[in-house]
Amino acid sequence: MEALTGALWGILSAIGLSVLLFVGANRLFDLIVDRWRLFLGLLGALSGAAFFGILAGNRVLDGSSLRWVGVGALLFATMAVLPELLADRRLRVATGVLAGLGVGSVVARAVDSSVRPIVSTRDVLVPVGIAVALYLAVALRRGRIRPGGVLVVVALAWVVGTWLLGDVGGGSATAMAVAVLVPFTLVGAALGSGEQRSRVRRYDLQRKTRVGAFLGPAMFFVILGLVIPLLRTIYLSLHGSKGRVWVGLKNYGDVLANKKSLDLEDWANIFGSRLTHLGIALLVFGLLAGLLIGRRRGRLLEPTASSIGPVSAGVLLLMFAVFASLRGTVMNNLWWVIVVTLLSTVLGLAAAVLADRAKFESVAKSLIFMPMAISFVGAGIIWRFMYIARPPQKPQTGLFNAIWVGLGTMAPSGTGQFTVIAVLGAATVVLAGLAVFGIRRRQSGITIGSAFVALPVLWLLYRILGPGLGGVETGPLGDPIGKPILFVQEGPFNNVWLMVVLIWIQTGFAMVILSAAIKAVPVDLIEAARVDGATDGQVFFHVTLPTIVPTISVIVTALIVLVMKVFDIVRVMTNGNFGTQVIANEMWQRAFTEFNLGLGSALAVVLFLSVVPVMGMNIRRMQRSEV
Amino acid sequence: MLTTKETVSTTVGSVDRVGRVVYGFLRSVPTWVLWLLVIVWTVPTGSLFLNSFRTRDAQRGSGWWASVGEGGWTFDNYIDVLSSSRQTGGLATAVVNSFAIAIPATVIPIAIAAMAAYAFAWIPFRGREWLFILTVSLLALPNQVALLPLLQLFAGGVHWTVPGSETVVTLFPDLSLAGTATAVWLTHTSFALPFAIFLLHNYIASLPAELFEAARIDGADHFTIFWRLVVPLSVPALAAFTIFQFLWTWNDYLVALTMLGANGSAYPATIKIASMAGEFGRLEHLLSAGAFVQAGVPLLVFFALQRFFVRGLLAGSVKS
Repeated sequence: MEALTGALWGILSAIGLSVLLFVGANRLFDLIVDRWRLFLGLLGALSGAAFFGILAGNRVLDGSSLRWVGVGALLFATMAVLPELLADRRLRVATGVLAGLGVGSVVARAVDSSVRPIVSTRDVLVPVGIAVALYLAVALRRGRIRPGGVLVVVALAWVVGTWLLGDVGGGSATAMAVAVLVPFTLVGAALGSGEQRSRVRRYDLQRKTRVGAFLGPAMFFVILGLVIPLLRTIYLSLHGSKGRVWVGLKNYGDVLANKKSLDLEDWANIFGSRLTHLGIALLVFGLLAGLLIGRRRGRLLEPTASSIGPVSAGVLLLMFAVFASLRGTVMNNLWWVIVVTLLSTVLGLAAAVLADRAKFESVAKSLIFMPMAISFVGAGIIWRFMYIARPPQKPQTGLFNAIWVGLGTMAPSGTGQFTVIAVLGAATVVLAGLAVFGIRRRQSGITIGSAFVALPVLWLLYRILGPGLGGVETGPLGDPIGKPILFVQEGPFNNVWLMVVLIWIQTGFAMVILSAAIKAVPVDLIEAARVDGATDGQVFFHVTLPTIVPTISVIVTALIVLVMKVFDIVRVMTNGNFGTQVIANEMWQRAFTEFNLGLGSALAVVLFLSVVPVMGMNIRRMQRSEV
Repeated sequence: MLTTKETVSTTVGSVDRVGRVVYGFLRSVPTWVLWLLVIVWTVPTGSLFLNSFRTRDAQRGSGWWASVGEGGWTFDNYIDVLSSSRQTGGLATAVVNSFAIAIPATVIPIAIAAMAAYAFAWIPFRGREWLFILTVSLLALPNQVALLPLLQLFAGGVHWTVPGSETVVTLFPDLSLAGTATAVWLTHTSFALPFAIFLLHNYIASLPAELFEAARIDGADHFTIFWRLVVPLSVPALAAFTIFQFLWTWNDYLVALTMLGANGSAYPATIKIASMAGEFGRLEHLLSAGAFVQAGVPLLVFFALQRFFVRGLLAGSVKS
């Protein structure tokens, strides 16, 4: 209950404060056009309160900060308003200078004697020179030099030279006076030097401040919460574990030279792997199918389901072979990005196409989309229950192991085995029939498709009749006992089982967007293709797919960015153990459990660098759409 | 318009009975595959849901598919996992914490982003395009990049030691926010803004320009136009982003884990169930119920407001 009221208070006060700030700023800027002096006074009071508040809060001024806030508000307001009351230019400047001198002397007297700066001529003249040169360069390009601008720039440079470049503390009272009085006097003179603002210029100013009021809060959060932290992370990544000692690129070297990050020793295994052979076989199968169908249609290669399916399956298997041999955190991340992005997009596309104009389309789509609402943590837990492996003597309660062990421990002549063989046999017969049908009707697509589907069915049939299928081993008494798969622990393919979780979530995302894109394909195009005698497959590969390519690229980039920083799923399911470490989890462990700021930041920067190309693409895409 | 059936018949010529049966079968294959996909996608969630109502013994004794005949149903898992008296549960507090993070983390970015989106869309100023593109390009920024400095900022502020002296100047005060929900939703606010501005800008920029001209002729200033015109007209986009951001912050784990550190009393539901998952064996029977308590709110929001959610996704991905 206490947490609840505390939270409510926090929320309400935050909202109230934000509203107050926003409305207050807008009301303040409302004054610009008609009540210029009041506006100046209020602005002066606010900045004075802030300036003196910060000084007093840092114990630079003696005495209570509340009193200083009041004094500061009064002083600054006077300084801002006084010159505005006079019409004559020279008088205005004189008043400004006097006001500046007055305020400056108050500040100079109030500042604690322990923080008097040591002022040297060089420290002051160098920044002033640079600042004036810079200002003149900019102002000359715009073709207009304002004396007020010069004065303010010199004042700022003076503050930098006296307070920031030299040592603070131990200076003389004269140095103190020089360091404080000069900038205040300059600013006062600048305030007085401008001509009185015409109504038109005040309107202009009001428009600019309004931009500030509307954009200010967002920019505040973006700069303070994203831009500055990004720069600081880059800074920290070049420093040691405490963030103080400059170490150059050592942290990056530690990341890449580490065997846990990048282990390419077993590259030769790629060529001996069964996955490679199977992948190449499928690739050849798909290419042959494409050639065969393409020849009948007068093309070199025809993209159809029967050729694209085997080719992509082959590519996927080859990828698995590569990533199962090249190990390490960085390779794991790459594996994640490629497999999850590819499969989520392809499955999402498949679901979108299959559901298009199907009965109960919206029901099917919402059920596939539903995992999007579940947290990565929750999804990780849900899938851990699917992957549970219990000791062989106990019943398997995870679906996958129940099926796997069930198949293995099926009695060789029981009804279970009979059923499985019967189903597989029936499927083979049906597929064979379809293949024959395809040959007779000269529809090679049907034949090749059924042959492709028949491959795994025949393989299963062979395994179950021959060497046996499923998780089983011979027990101590010679009887068969279950041998569950430790999905989460057995490397390197436990990585794939973790990826399944994210694919399960992101397929819905891809489906929803692609479904909308498919529905937006112009009906005339599809109808025209149909009239020309195109089949459903041809319509999809030659009309629909080319039209939705831009949407696919949007999804792919969004997924790459998302998958690159995968964290929650790995942390919940393995915490990076069993060879499943990824960069984001490694970063979290280095930075927040070991407090190695340098290494953690370097890993974060690696993540950042890997999405820079995507950011660049996004910028280019937006530039094009702005034009 | 030709139907699929007619198309097939024109390409193949005369269709006999065998052909009709086979083509009919082939045409139904996509539907079968679709529903197979739906089943595969639903089973993980459905099975956990069933399990969450089963006793510990039932959960360990058999799979959920055997549950129908077996009995062993109970509500105790939910009671145990929610009640704070048991050392195992305490999820009720965590759910409250989740609200304390998710509500401000949703409301505040929306307000800020709507204002910024309006300025980017309808107040002309120099450098507007570039500022907009730079802001929005940050939406691809991995959160990890900002976490460490932000935690330092919340935990100790920013101090600058003046060179050559002992004087330390505070550039940003130490607000002792580390470990509080405030730190979490402030972080979420920053992280959400690029996407929120992008999404709302797309919508607000597409409002008809005549509307704004008419309002300006009537003497309305930007503040009035924003409040009276833009906000009411942008309700669909605002709603879409609200749902989006609420689900995102409710389901967030990384930011909360980082910003809350060891302050267990402020943990949201995601951290709670993740730490329960860490002790998998002992709390296994409560974990399914816990996962559903955490997922219950977003699932409810999702099924009730799916239309807006989808619209938000589409607006965010495909520029209209």
